[in-house]
Amino acid sequence: MPRYAMTIDLSRCMGCRACMVACKVENNTPEAHFWMYVFRFEEEEYPKTRVWFLPRPCQHCDNAPCVKVCPVGARYKRDDGLVLTDFQRCIGCRYCEVACPYGVNYFHWKHPDKAQYLDYTDDPEVKSRTNNTMPPYRNPDADLRYGPEERLTAGAHHYRGVIGKCTFCVHRVEKGLEPACVANCPVRVFEFGDLDDPNSIVSQKLRTNPHFRLLEEEGTKPRVYYLMGNPPSPEVRQVMPVKGGKRG
Amino acid sequence: MSGRAVALPYGVGRISLGWLALVAIAAALVGVGAFAYAIQELEGPIATGLRDWGTMGGATWGLYVSFIVYFVGVSFAGITVAALIRILGLTYLRPISRVAELLTIVSLILGALSVLADLGQPLRGIANLFRYARPQSPFFGTFTMVIAGYLFASLVYFYLAGRRDAYLMAQYPSPLRWLYRAWAAGYQDTPEEKARHERISFWLALGILPLLVIAHSTLGLVFGLMGGRPGWFSALQAPGFVVLAGVSGIGHIIVLAALLRWSLGLRDQPEMAAFRWLGQALLVLGIIYIYFTIVEMVTAGYAGREHEQRLAKLVLVGYYAPFFWTGMGALGLAIGLLASQALSGRWSIPLLVASGILANVTAVAKRLIIVVPSLTHGSLLPYGIGMYIPTWVEGAIIAGLMGLGALTILLFMKAFPIMEVPAPVEEVRP
Ligand code: SF4
Ligand code: SF4
Repeated sequence: MPRYAMTIDLSRCMGCRACMVACKVENNTPEAHFWMYVFRFEEEEYPKTRVWFLPRPCQHCDNAPCVKVCPVGARYKRDDGLVLTDFQRCIGCRYCEVACPYGVNYFHWKHPDKAQYLDYTDDPEVKSRTNNTMPPYRNPDADLRYGPEERLTAGAHHYRGVIGKCTFCVHRVEKGLEPACVANCPVRVFEFGDLDDPNSIVSQKLRTNPHFRLLEEEGTKPRVYYLMGNPPSPEVRQVMPVKGGKRG
Repeated sequence: MSGRAVALPYGVGRISLGWLALVAIAAALVGVGAFAYAIQELEGPIATGLRDWGTMGGATWGLYVSFIVYFVGVSFAGITVAALIRILGLTYLRPISRVAELLTIVSLILGALSVLADLGQPLRGIANLFRYARPQSPFFGTFTMVIAGYLFASLVYFYLAGRRDAYLMAQYPSPLRWLYRAWAAGYQDTPEEKARHERISFWLALGILPLLVIAHSTLGLVFGLMGGRPGWFSALQAPGFVVLAGVSGIGHIIVLAALLRWSLGLRDQPEMAAFRWLGQALLVLGIIYIYFTIVEMVTAGYAGREHEQRLAKLVLVGYYAPFFWTGMGALGLAIGLLASQALSGRWSIPLLVASGILANVTAVAKRLIIVVPSLTHGSLLPYGIGMYIPTWVEGAIIAGLMGLGALTILLFMKAFPIMEVPAPVEEVRP
């Protein structure tokens, strides 16, 4: 059984947010849902101002508070470390979202077809651009059952009234592919691999680079390691936050 | 005897204009609430003011969760009163025991309904909360223990405690005789039966008492165990919930008891001694709660991590200060009213009712202060602050639930004596 982890090299990230777009395309997430999010930070005052970036996927914690609090076991952790959501069991209590200190969970506040960037049910503009076919182009892989437990994983179809979050693109990982953000970063900020394999790229990176994990003091034991940088201090200011609005 | 010859005790079966007006108001509230819920079901939870915290800048939980806590808190009163009668022998509380137990049951049901209002998938919730129940989740305490176990135990208690009156009521000719017969289920009020009834009630009350503490504590643990949420993670959360539950529950009982005494035109029931006892209990619990709040604020403000301090400041002097100080001011005023009565030894029902209402203002304000600020302003990552303004849909659903509670109590009053019927039947004055 592999032990999956991700490394994020902060010295490389230039804040282009291509990973956020890749994630949206891959997982069809509704408007204002960012399973991957890139903070743009500003620190200190002019002329010493420093701008830096911090991508934030789900941390796939080993001691995941979200898994602990789920009243029905819809949020679960696989043996390989992926933290996933059984969207057919989830009752939409949002306790996982409240318990997670990283803010990576997104609830489907309305029917996802209506929550896309265009209204997928009756927007003439959509039809005019798509030759009269109606999106969403749903990735059929995303709704399959995976792993030895054969469970659903919060794939890309999305249902009203349940929670969704980053899956490390389990449907790609199962095929031996990298998660979409990893594969699409133009400057190779992310690496994804098996911690148990000393030759895997993540193991090598962790051996040779200083690293930290986000909010380690919370005891969540994240599986996402940040290389070459420091955790955001309380003084950082977020600049250019996404204008997702409150459209849910 | 003809059907209408004998007046049943405590206005059972007698429909007055005032009662009809109250029923109409309550029913109208229920209607508005049902309409709002239909809208929420059609449009989805987007109809509420709730949103994801983090990049979306909202609060994940809001009015519904605050009122789950509030309603379950109110349920505190009934079983406490019942237990005190049976265990400590405070017999002058007896006349209010039925209304107190009824309040417990009604408020637990309202709590359960607010859970359903909050869930994204309510139907699935009903099934899965039992099918896949996980005791590791603090919600297990809320859903499975409080709303199933505690409610079930209270219903059993309520039923058993009512059998004697049902038997007595069945002696009267009335259209509801079948109900009384069924409720009494063969109970005859013989001395042996009476003794057995007392024994069972005693043990049941004793059994429910720890359940009550556990239930209100687990509700506190839903928040108190969240290490990553400044403002919630605290060992005081559980005891604080138990005490605040007592404050709101006893406040409610005082108001209901006064309403009964007034509306049924009873000069001496419930006795002044019962009111005095309730007032004293409210006074003590209120003072304990103020003490808890001060300890909590001092800890967060003095030694808390950066985020705890920021949140404490926000609640004490910042954006949420008006809510906080409304709540604490109301409690302070209630305590002042009660203390002056306790010191002078003269208890007045209007003043007691005022303190009961004030205590419930505190309970609602304090629940909102517990739930919302930690979500809008409690992020450990620099997401920026969030915002939560409830929509009319949320308000209407909560108002509808309150209407439903009032309606249930009003209807029950006309079908069953709301206070214990003094025996023997013949001596009952209409
Ligand atoms: S980051 Fe949040 S959602 Fe992801 S595993 Fe950790 S607690 Fe759960
Ligand atoms: S929202 Fe769904 S996955 Fe999250 S805790 Fe509730 S039931 Fe579990």
